[in-house]
Parts: sequence; C-alpha cells; structure tokens
Amino acid sequence: MTSHVSAALAPGGDIPAPHIEYGQIMPILLVLGVAVAGVLVEAFVGRTWRYTVQVPLAFLGLAGGFAWTIVLGLRDETHAVAAEGALGVDGPTLFLQGTILILALVSLLLIADRGTGSFAAQAAALPGSEAEQRTTAAGIIQTEVFPLLMFAVGGMLIFPASNDLLTMFVGLEVMSLPLYLLCGLARRRRLLSQEAAVKYFLLGSFSSAFFLYGIALLYGYAGSVKLGDIAAEAGRDAGSETLLLGGIALLALGLLFKLGAVPFHMWKPDVYQGAPTPITALMASCTLVSAFGAMLRVFFVAFENLTWEWRPAMWGVSIITMIAGAVIAITQTDIKRMLAYSSIAHAGFLLTGVIATSREGLSSTLFYLAAYGFTTVGAFAVVTTVRDAGGEAGHLSRWAGLGKRSPLIAGVFAFFLLAFAGIPLTSGFTGKFAVFKAAVEADATPLVVVGVISSAIAAFFYVRVIVVMFFSEPEADGPTVVVSPATAAAVVLGLAATVVLGVLPQPVLDLAGHAATQMFVR
Amino acid sequence: MSPGHYLALSAILFTIGALGVLVRRNAIVVFMCIELMLNATNLAFVSFSRMHGNLDGQIIAFFVMVVAAAEVVVGLAIIMTIFRTRRSSSVDDVNLLKY
Amino acid sequence: MKAEGIQAASWLLVALPLAGAAILLIGGKRTDKWGHLLGVAMSVASFGVGAAMFVQMLGYGAEERRRTVHLWDFIDVGSFTVGMDLLVDPLSISFVLLITGVGSLIHIYSIGYMSHDPDRRRFFAYLNLFVAAMLLLVLGGNYLILFLGWEGVGLASYLLIGFWQHKPTAATAAKKAFVVNRVGDIGLVLAISLMFATFGSIGFDQVLGEGAEHAGLASQLSTGTATAIGLLLLLGACGKSAQLPLQSWLLDAMEGPTPVSALIHAATMVTAGVYLIVRSAPIFEMSDTAQLVVTIVGAATLLAGAIIGCGKDDIKKALAGSTMSQIGYMHLAAGLGRTGYVFAIAHLIAHGFFKAGLFLGAGSVMHGMNDDVNMRRFGGVRGFMMITYATFGLGYLAIIGFPFLSGWFTKDGIIEAAYAKEGTSGIILGSCALIGAGITAYYMSRVMFMTFFGEKRWADDVHPHESPKVMTVPLMVLAIGSVFAGGFLVLGGFAEFLEPVVGKPEHEHHFAWLTAPGAATFVLMLIGAGIAWRQYGARPVPREQPAGSFLTVAARKDLYGDALNESLLMRPGQWLTRLAVWFDGRGVDGAVNGVAAGIGGTSGRIRRIQTGFARSYALSMVFGAAVIVAALLVVNVA
Repeated sequence: MTSHVSAALAPGGDIPAPHIEYGQIMPILLVLGVAVAGVLVEAFVGRTWRYTVQVPLAFLGLAGGFAWTIVLGLRDETHAVAAEGALGVDGPTLFLQGTILILALVSLLLIADRGTGSFAAQAAALPGSEAEQRTTAAGIIQTEVFPLLMFAVGGMLIFPASNDLLTMFVGLEVMSLPLYLLCGLARRRRLLSQEAAVKYFLLGSFSSAFFLYGIALLYGYAGSVKLGDIAAEAGRDAGSETLLLGGIALLALGLLFKLGAVPFHMWKPDVYQGAPTPITALMASCTLVSAFGAMLRVFFVAFENLTWEWRPAMWGVSIITMIAGAVIAITQTDIKRMLAYSSIAHAGFLLTGVIATSREGLSSTLFYLAAYGFTTVGAFAVVTTVRDAGGEAGHLSRWAGLGKRSPLIAGVFAFFLLAFAGIPLTSGFTGKFAVFKAAVEADATPLVVVGVISSAIAAFFYVRVIVVMFFSEPEADGPTVVVSPATAAAVVLGLAATVVLGVLPQPVLDLAGHAATQMFVR
Repeated sequence: MSPGHYLALSAILFTIGALGVLVRRNAIVVFMCIELMLNATNLAFVSFSRMHGNLDGQIIAFFVMVVAAAEVVVGLAIIMTIFRTRRSSSVDDVNLLKY
Repeated sequence: MKAEGIQAASWLLVALPLAGAAILLIGGKRTDKWGHLLGVAMSVASFGVGAAMFVQMLGYGAEERRRTVHLWDFIDVGSFTVGMDLLVDPLSISFVLLITGVGSLIHIYSIGYMSHDPDRRRFFAYLNLFVAAMLLLVLGGNYLILFLGWEGVGLASYLLIGFWQHKPTAATAAKKAFVVNRVGDIGLVLAISLMFATFGSIGFDQVLGEGAEHAGLASQLSTGTATAIGLLLLLGACGKSAQLPLQSWLLDAMEGPTPVSALIHAATMVTAGVYLIVRSAPIFEMSDTAQLVVTIVGAATLLAGAIIGCGKDDIKKALAGSTMSQIGYMHLAAGLGRTGYVFAIAHLIAHGFFKAGLFLGAGSVMHGMNDDVNMRRFGGVRGFMMITYATFGLGYLAIIGFPFLSGWFTKDGIIEAAYAKEGTSGIILGSCALIGAGITAYYMSRVMFMTFFGEKRWADDVHPHESPKVMTVPLMVLAIGSVFAGGFLVLGGFAEFLEPVVGKPEHEHHFAWLTAPGAATFVLMLIGAGIAWRQYGARPVPREQPAGSFLTVAARKDLYGDALNESLLMRPGQWLTRLAVWFDGRGVDGAVNGVAAGIGGTSGRIRRIQTGFARSYALSMVFGAAVIVAALLVVNVA
C-alpha cells in the first residue's frame, strides 16, 4: 500500500485503488468478517439467542476458511503475493493457515462446550459479588468469547502470511489483544485468571514494543519493511551493520517471546496455568503454529543471507530452551503448568528445524507443528474433563489413581504424554525425527544431541504423570471425570491425529514437503 | 538538527520506557512506560523516513498509533478488572502464579 | 528376498498378541471372566504362526531363508526412507519360537499363579503387550523398528515390575528399572543416529547387508566409527540385559510377579542385548576394540552375577544373579566374533528353557509357601511337591552344566570358544568363564539344598502343597526343554542353520564329547556343588542369616553395585540437590538415581527463577535481548 503513496502525492491525481486479490486471502477475510458479525450479534441479538447464533457462526467461519484454504492449496500456482505485496499466499502459508484453522475448530469445540463451563458468566462482574451471583443464578453466560476468538484467529492467519513487517506487526497485535482478554475469562479461580491476563498483557506489549523497535531499525537499515527488500539490501552488504543486527535481535525477541523460547518464556507457565483451559489449548496450538510460521518466514526470507550472523545466537536459544523446558518441568506439580514447560521444550525442538534453514527444515517444522498442535489440543481437552468441586483438578496429586477411576481417559492422556515424549508410533516421534534429521543434514548435530538428551530428561516427567495415574491409589475424594460430547469430539480428533501421524505419517509428510517445495514467496 | 539526533532521542526515550517497566510497580505506570516505548519507536520511524526520503515510516507511525490505542483499550480493561478484584494496581501484588 | 506364504503374514505374530492386549485393556472389567483365556489363546496362536513360518523356512535352501516383509512406508523424508519392515531369517525365527513358545507356557502357568489376583486380566494384557513388543524387536527389519520394540518391551517390563503397585518396593523397583534403562536407551538412540549420519540409512539390508555373503555398508566402516557405534550399541545392550555397569535394576525387578521374572527378566527381554550385538555383528566385526569391550563386560558380569547369586537368601534374587551371570556368558560369546555367535544364541535358547523352568519352579514353591521367598525358611520341600522338585532339579542340573543336559552343550561351547581366542585375552576370558561355571554350580546347589533338602524350617501356618496342573504342566514341558534343547541345538546343526546370518567361523568348530576345558569345567562343577553340599546339605541351615564373610556380605549387597551407584552418582546428585534446594525444604520426591536427583535438584532450583513477579520476567527478557544483541555483534565482529 505504501508504494502508492508517493504516486498519489502528485497534485490533482486520482487516488489509485489498491489491487486486492480477494479470492487469495478469503480465509482471512472470512474469519475477520465473522468476527465483526459476531460483535454485531452481541449488540443486536437477544441474550437468550446469542449462544445459539454465535457458535454456528464461528463454526461456519472457521470451517469455511479451512475449506477455502484447501481449495487454494489444490490450485497449481500457489506462489504469489496478494494485497499489493502485503500478504504472501504460498505453500507454507497455506499449510500453516490450514493447520491453524483446523486446530482452532477443535479448540472451538472446547470453548463452546457449556458442559464444562470454563468461562465466567460475566467477566466484568466482581468475583463473588452480588452482580455475579445474580447472573449466575439467572443462568446467563456472556458470549463475547466467540468474536474475541475469531479476531484472534484472524490475527493468527495474518501473522505467518505477512510479507512485510508492518502487516506482521498488525497481525501480531490482532492476534494478541483478544488473547489477553480471553485469558482473563476463567469462571473458576478468577484471581489466577486475571493475574494471567495482566501478566500476559504487560509482558506481551513489552515484547511487541521491542518487536516494533526492531522493525524500526530494519526500516532504518533497508528503507523498507518488505521482507524481500530487507533481504536484497542485506545481500548488497551496504548500510549500517549495527542497525541490521540490532533489528534482527529485537525482531527475534518479539517472535521468540510468542514461541516461549528461553529466556522469553516466563509468561508461558503462568498464563497457561491461569487461563481458561480451552484458551490454553488454543494458545498452545494455534498461537504456537502462527508464531513459528512468522518466525520461519522472517528467517527464511528476510535474513536468508545472514544465517552466519544469527545462527550462533539461535543455537544458544534453542539449546537453552530445550534443556530448561525439560528440566524445569520435572518438578512441576500442576498439570497445566507442566504442559506449559513441555510446550517450551517443544519450542526448542522446533527451533532446530528453523535453524536448519533448508527445505527439509521447513517441511519438517511444518509437520511437527501440525502434529504437536493436535496432540496438545487433545491433552488440554483431557485436562478439562478431570474435575472436582472447585473446577478442574489441576494439581498432579489429584490425578493419582485416575487410571483406576477412568482408565479410558487416563489411557488417552498417557498416550498424549508418550507422544510428547516422542515414543515411536506416535506423531511426536515422527515430528521429532523429521526435525532432527533436517538439523543433522544442516550440520547442527550438536543441537540434535542436546535434543535427544533433553527428550530423555523430558521422558521422566511424562512418565511420572503416567505413574501417578496408574501406579498410585486413588484418593477417596478424588476428582470425577466429566466428558461432554463436544469435549469428547476434541479428544478423539486429537487422538486420531496423533495416532495417524504416528503410524501412517506419509501423506501429511508429503503434504508438508509439497508445501515447502517452493519455499516462501517474497 | 540531523536525523541522527532524533534517533538518539528515540533510543533514549525507548530506554527510559524499558527501565520504567522494570522499576515501576503501578500497573498503569508500567503500561504508560510501554506506551512511551511505542512512541519512541514512532520517533525512530519518522526520523528514518526522513533519512531515506520515503514516506513508509510516517505511514507506519500512524498504524502504530492505532494499534497503541487499541492496546490502551484492552490494557485498561484488564487492569481495571484486576484492580476491582484486588483493590490494588501494583504489579508486584499479582504473584500467585509462580515457580 | 520377499517373503511368501505364511511368512508374508509374519505381521500376524505381532498383531495377534497386540490385539489381545488392546481388547483386554479397552474392554476393562467386562473381559475379566475370559480375559486370561484370550491372552493365552493369542500367545499360542502366535506360536502357531511362528512354527508354520519355521517349517516353511526349512523348506528353503540356506541362501533363500532370509525373507523381508515390507508393510508400509513409515517415514519418507527426502532421500531417506524407513519402512515398516519385518525380517524373517534363521536368527529372528529362533527368537520367535523361543519367545512365543516359552511365552505361551508362561501364559498358561500364570492362569494358575495369578488365579487369586483381582487384576489378573490386566496382567495378561501386559503379558500380551510384552510378547507383541518383543516379537517386534526381533522381527524388525531396521533399527527403528527394533528400537520401537525395544521401547515397547521396556514399557511392558516397567508396567509388570510395578504390577503390585501397592508395594512401595515394587513401585521403586519399576522406577529404577526405567531410569537405568533410559541410560541404555540413550546409547541406542545415539548409535542409531550415528549410523544414520554415517550410512544415511538404518535398514538392516543396507547397513548390515543381505546375509553373511552380501556385505552391507558396515563393511566399509572406519575402525573409529565402528568402535563408536559398537560401544553405543553395547551401552544399549547393557541397559536392557543388566550387564555391568547398568546391572543394578535386575535384582530389584524381582518385585514383579514370578511369571514376569521368568518370561521377561530371565528368558526373553534381558537377552535382547545379546540379540542386538549378534544382529549388529557386521559392525562389531569392524572393530576389535568394540568386540573386546563386549567380552570384558560379559566376563565381568558373569563373575559378578555369580558371586551375587551366592549371597542371596531370596530365591528369586539368587536366580536373578544367576540370570545376570548367564547373560554375561552370552555377551562373552557374542564378543568373540564368528566363533561365538552360534554359542551365544544356543546358550540363550537353552537358558530360556532352564531359567524359565527354574523361575516358574521357584514360583511354584512360593505358591505353596504363602509367597515367602526366603530360602532360609524353606527346607525339605521336596516331599511335598514332587513335580516341582523334579522339574526344578532338571533345570538345576542343566544350568550347572551336568553332562549331556542343555547347559553342558552350550556353556562348555562358550568356554571352549573363549579359550580358542588368540593371545592372553583368550586365556583370561576362558578362565573367567571356567571359574564362573564353578561358582554357578555352587550357588545353584545352594539354592537346591536350601529349598528342597534338609529339615523343614518353615513356620507352622505354612502348608506346602503341590501346585495345580495348569502350573505343573508348563514346568514339565520346560524341564524337557532343559534336558534336550542344548543337545538338540548343538548336535542338530544349529550352527549351519544360523550360518547364513552370522557367517562361517574362521576355523571350523567340531563338536567333541571330551575336551580339556570340558573336563576342567566338570571338575570345577563337582567342587562347587561339593562345597555347597558341605555348607548347606550336610549341616542344618540357620533360619537367621549368619554374619558371613567379607565376600558373602558383599554379595548380599549386590557387590555394592548400589553403593557404588550411590557414591558415584547419587551422593553428588543429592549433594547437588541439597545445594540447589537448600532454601527449599521440599526437595525432590523419591529420586532413585543420582542423575535424576541432580536434574530434579537443578529443576527445583531454576524453577525458583520464575518468581511470579511480572517485572522480573520483564527483566529476564531485557537480559535475553541484551545477550542476543551482544551475541550477534560479537559473531559479526569476530
């Protein structure tokens, strides 16, 4: 859009309309359109009908977007830019968007599930106040969560597709702002939920300030925020190195924060624990996919000639992330918090694929993201089902003997944990294998050794949970397992994907490989 | 004045903002420091725009303002809620989630 | 060559018990009534398939017996393909028959042994799971499938050791087995990674070649790489097979139900390390160092296990020490190269029979003695359980190498092969094996005398009785195996049968009925048994454990294996833990291993960095940003 500005400055000239390829970016438009419609529904539809309208609307938006993405992917020429070069529509982007949309659909199953009642009836009401009791008694539950979800998903779709840094920043914010709010909407343990929201918000905007300053420095270096222009300028080896390197570092900080790489990970355990579990599922899957998509695009396109500069630093981040995530997880006592640290460790594994900067690195990272996303959604879905009087039973000790009480749920959860641990015949193994293989081929063998050791450490705490579930006696007043159909569907989808991607991963590996053949458009 | 001076000022403002985030306790003030960082960035964008002789940086500054405004809405909402629950706006008081 | 006929359906071998496990686990309580029968049926059916495959294989010429089954492409990324491949060859079919045969007998035995356990169905589910995983391990056509089975048997073993989870000792033992095996597994994973990095493939066809006549990529290995891969593989083997220095878990694993000890911790799973080494023979043959280390580990373990077996009063632990020792023999043989492979596998199969028989016999005794395991409270049991006594006796004679029984054929073969190795190392290794045979005779006689002979030492409320038919019939079958298996293998051309896989030995080995090492073994065996008779047969055995000599005390304490672990790994780990969490009173719960404790302690410490204060998080971000900027600048300037 900005390239037309100077042309438009000529006095008396027409304002040239930007050329927008609506068809190519329809998934994004659809999701954001549904989000806006959702706001209108909040305003104009009667309270009793809102839920009935919002859920199908959100479902249609996500499913429609997914279908459209598939149609786009089936065409031959999936390697173009859209909206005046602001958005890239290429193989990796479509794969990532499709993954985000399908994972968001699964998360929507959890969010829309009223049986578990994860969300506050009225977030604005003071916990325990008369106003809250009245709304609860009246059985009213606000539905603002749906438009917020759709806005967040819209941002997630833009983030990895954006071909210039300004669009990327806007995508980042469109994704993050609704998530900050969603984190504070938990029905139980409101204090924790609000604390999570405050922390996520303050640290998130702190990191986006750095991200933005990084953009400013890169703009100062290249005179443009287009990823391709930055790459071209870096290829000419002109301009101020300090601006370039500072820009890379700060931009990387913003992205690493979203991934939860050490030492920018500290928000993750707190927010994952405090947020309503369906939102945690959304963040652990979709946000991670989206942030890695953006990371891949920035490092594969804008900084492709600078691998020697950024690799050592990223090596360090990847190693410390894998180790710290696995090590700290060992002593965690809260299930969600443990899964958060597990997610940090997985971010480290994924970073090895980014560091490979090869076609194999790209395709294996794409596969890993899809595989991990499904497993993690499934795992958090299971977490929502184990409940006691105070809502979800988050403490590990409460899960003692779950294998006796509910062998099926405990067994499924154990399977997810084994997938996280990367046991063969689960998707986790295939993903790790592919990523590590790409890293070995890119001469990053030490990273792989660290990865293997870290996986071995991580196996301790995954198995510890399995031991607690199967090898200890259940408490007398232990939690009950409540599975409603929507949650069951989410669990089954996560399980099916984890099994299929573990036993017969070839079609999806092929798909990821196909998506990565032409790499990113610029 | 050369654009370099503006860049220096922008860096100083950004640093002040970052330090403010680290040392201030009041959530509102912390948030204002983040806004200061965003505005320091705007200054950098505008100065670079001047140096490169294109308008991209200035346009970006407008975008940043819009985003910052949206951030204010969300941020104040969150800080308000937690203030009403806790009767405190100190970021050091919210530390139930840890370790 | 592609498999045909029933061999093409070799996946059934794995699928049948796996289906059994799945049905029993998913079906839950509904399957309680007939669950154990299904478990047995699946195992027996698997044996049937295996036997049919064996018969079909015998119909082929020696060069055509190696058949592959490609089920589907498991992973195909770029230049690299790993298929779900199964390999049916003389080596794997030998294991298949052992696993399904002995496995089925133990399944049947368990019907009786576990009849009073409310969780019998779950037990059979785990047993089936184990059989499936073990078959996958030996049938896998590449290292990845092998690893899959390797992890599977580890999981099953872990579940079964901790089966009686209400006993804290069982839970701890399960945990310990898991931790120690993890160390070995890292070795295996690194070996596979190294193979992949070196060869670009991990398929048996490519790496090891298609049979002994068609060499694979391994034959072009440099000595250094071959040593590295070999030693890493050995680390994996040591973990699984309880060889020094990763032996400590096996004795504790006896906390599991006795059929588990018989099947997993004696007959099959613990021998997986031997399988791994024999299967990877082409790699080991490229490195003398790796082979030498294998023999040293084997020789050291065979002595250590035997000495430990001498000091134990717990009948199962005495047998567990014996298992360590016998697997040490197999490793020793496997490290000798082509002269030893056949004996390693023959001894493995013979050992599978007599050790399973001994364990099941011990289980039968325990069954009649109110589940007591302390031999000092047995004595004179033979009059009350004749069948158990007779079958146990035959197994005993087989393991000490009584002439013309199984152990005599196979163990003497190993001792002779060790002496045949050139240089002083051959004499040392052979002597170790020889002395080990003497000690074996001693401790096994001790077990025999303390349990079945002498006057009764049990409490008044114990009423020894013979076990039901469902338990004694498997004992009889295994006793027959203990008597004849070794002779059948050694005289029946097992060497020629395995030759297409492991290759021809450099010097042709001819079986001789009388050899010098054989005679020496026989004499040592008599001496060992004689000493045991003097100590435990001719005079009364005290009910309480006497103080004992220095060596006895050491043996009772597993030769200080745990103490060594403790001082080398656990103490520093605990020290680190204490240092790390000195401001945290809670510490780490029940860390069984120093490394784990160390990591746990570190974990406990660094999780404290997460203070809960948003501002400190922001500080860590600023710090991280500064480091990254600095790193970028430094790299660029440098």
